[in-house]
Amino acid sequence: MTKRRFSVAVALAWVLVVVAAAAAAPLLTSHGVVQPVGHPLASASSGIPLGTDELGRDLWSRLLYGGRASLGASALAAALTVVLGGLAGLVAVVGGRWVDSTVLLVVNSALAIPGLLLALLLVAGLGPSLPTIVLAVGLGGAPGFARLARQAFLQGQTATYIAAAAALGAGRVRVALAHLLPNARPQLLPLAATYYAWSFLGTTTLTFLGLAGDPTHPEWGSMMNAGRLHLLDAPHLVFLPGAAIAMTILSVHALAGALARPRPRPSD
Amino acid sequence: MVSPADRPRNRLLIPLLRRLLSGIGTLWAALTLAFVALRIGGGDPTQSLLAQGLASPQQIAALRSELGLDLPLPAQYVRYLAGLVRGDLGRSLYTGRSVVVTIGEQLLPTFELALVAFLVSVVLGLTLGVVAGWFPKRWSGRSADALSALATGVPVAVLGLLAIIIAAALARAAPPLLGWLRSGGVLLPALTLGIAASGALARAIQAGLLEASGAPYLVAARARGVGEGARLLWHALRPVLPLAVALAALQAAFLLSGTVVTETVFSRPGLGRLLVTSILEGDFPVVQGLVVLAAAVYSITQATADMAAMALDPRLREPS
Repeated sequence: MTKRRFSVAVALAWVLVVVAAAAAAPLLTSHGVVQPVGHPLASASSGIPLGTDELGRDLWSRLLYGGRASLGASALAAALTVVLGGLAGLVAVVGGRWVDSTVLLVVNSALAIPGLLLALLLVAGLGPSLPTIVLAVGLGGAPGFARLARQAFLQGQTATYIAAAAALGAGRVRVALAHLLPNARPQLLPLAATYYAWSFLGTTTLTFLGLAGDPTHPEWGSMMNAGRLHLLDAPHLVFLPGAAIAMTILSVHALAGALARPRPRPSD
Repeated sequence: MVSPADRPRNRLLIPLLRRLLSGIGTLWAALTLAFVALRIGGGDPTQSLLAQGLASPQQIAALRSELGLDLPLPAQYVRYLAGLVRGDLGRSLYTGRSVVVTIGEQLLPTFELALVAFLVSVVLGLTLGVVAGWFPKRWSGRSADALSALATGVPVAVLGLLAIIIAAALARAAPPLLGWLRSGGVLLPALTLGIAASGALARAIQAGLLEASGAPYLVAARARGVGEGARLLWHALRPVLPLAVALAALQAAFLLSGTVVTETVFSRPGLGRLLVTSILEGDFPVVQGLVVLAAAVYSITQATADMAAMALDPRLREPS
C-alpha cells in the first residue's frame, strides 16, 4: 500500500507544482512569450534557462504561459462538462419518467459519436480557436458525464432519507439540491477528476492538431505541433511540453483513482 | 405455442433483433447530431471562400443554392437525409469533387493503419491484462500493470513523437534500420496507436481476472486438481471475454479519433488528415461526410460487439 501512496504523493506534488508555476508565471520569468530574445534554437544561457524555440522566443517563458493556457482551458472545459452533465443527470433523476427518457435519449444519441470526434465536429461548426476548443471539449464530455452522474443519483435516490425527506414535504428541487447532490459527492468527485484528465487530453489534442487558431500564443499542444518541424534537431521543443502533458494526465488519473478508493476508517 | 426446439434460438434471436433496431436508432441520432453540430455556429461556409477571394458573389450565390444553404433548416435536413439514402454526400467546397470520391481515395491508408493498430492493441492488451491480473504479486505482473497504466495515460501524440525520436536514434546507430523503417510505412504509426489503445483493454481484463481469482468456482477447480493453465484459460478468462469483446469495440472509438492524431504525427495520408485539413479550410461537406462515415462505422461495431457478447454470455440476453 505504501507504494500506491507514494505514487499518489508524486502525482499531487506534480499537479501542485504545475498549477503554482502557471499561476506565478510572471514572477518566474522576465521574458515575454511573443518577442524573440535570441537566435532561433539557441542553447541555454543566463536569462534563458532552456534556450530559445524555433523562432528565437524564450522556451521557459513559453512553457510557463503555455501551461497556463492548457490548464486554464481544460479546467473551463471540464467545469462545463461537470455542470452541464451533472445538471442533466440530476434533472433526469428527479424530473420523473418522461424527463428521464428524454434526457437519456439525448445523451445516448450524443454518445453515438465518440467524444473527441464530437469535439472536432463542434470545432468545425464554430470555427477553430482556443475558446471554441474549450466549448467543444466541454460539450463533448457532457453526455458521458451525464450518464454516469445519473447512475450515481439513481443509487442515492433509493436511500431511506430521501423517502423521509419527501414524506416531510420536501419538494423535488429541495430533495435534489439538499439531499441527492451532497450525498452523491463521493462518487462525483473522482468522476469529475477523471473528466478533467479527459478534458486536458482533449484540449491538448485539438490544439496539437493545429485547431487553436493563433499560434503566437503558447499552449502545450500548439507548442508540440510547432516543434514537430524540428523534431530531430531540437527534440526538446516537442519533448518538454509533451512530457508535461503526459505527466499531468497520469497524475490526475492517479489522484482520481485515490479519490475513488474508500478511505480506511480510523478503526481499521 | 412455441415448440421446445425453437425456444433456445428465439432467446438469442429476439435480443439480437432488438439490439439491431436500437443500433439503427443511434445511427440516425448520430447523423442528426452531425447535421446540427455543423450548423450550431450559424456561420455560412461559403463566406470564407468569398473572403479569401476564391469566388465571386455570383458564384457564391450559385454555390449556396446548389448546397441548399438558402433553404430553411428543416428543408436542408430533409435534403441531407435524402442524399444520405442515395449515397450522395455532396461536393467539396474547395475542389468541387464528390465527397464520396474524396473520402474513398483516403480510405485505404486509414483502414490499413486502424487494422494493424487494432491487432497490436488486442495482442498487447490481452498479454498485459492477463499477466497483470493472473500474477498480481509477481514482478512480471507489476510491470505489466505499470505499462498498461502508462499506455492509458500517455497521449497518442506524445507517444508517436517519442517513437519517431527513438526510431531516428536507432536508425542512426544502425543505418540499415532506416531503410526498413521507411519501407515499413505503417509499422511505426500502427505500433504507436496500438500501444495507446491496448491500455484500456489490458486494464479491463486485469480487473476482471482479479475479481475472478477469488471466486468459488476457481477454488473448486483448483481443488479438483485442474492445472494452472487450464484454470486461467478455461475458468478465469471465460467470464471476462464478453467484457473484452465489448471493450475491443470501444477500441473502435479510440482508433477512430486516434487515427486523426497518428496521421498528423507521422504525416501520413488518410481520413484523419483529411478531417483536420477540411476543418481548417471550413470545407463542411467533407467534414460532414467524414463524421457520417465515423458514426456509421462506430454504431455498426458497437452493435456487432454487443451481439457477439450476447452470443458469448447468456446473462446479457435478458433485457436490462
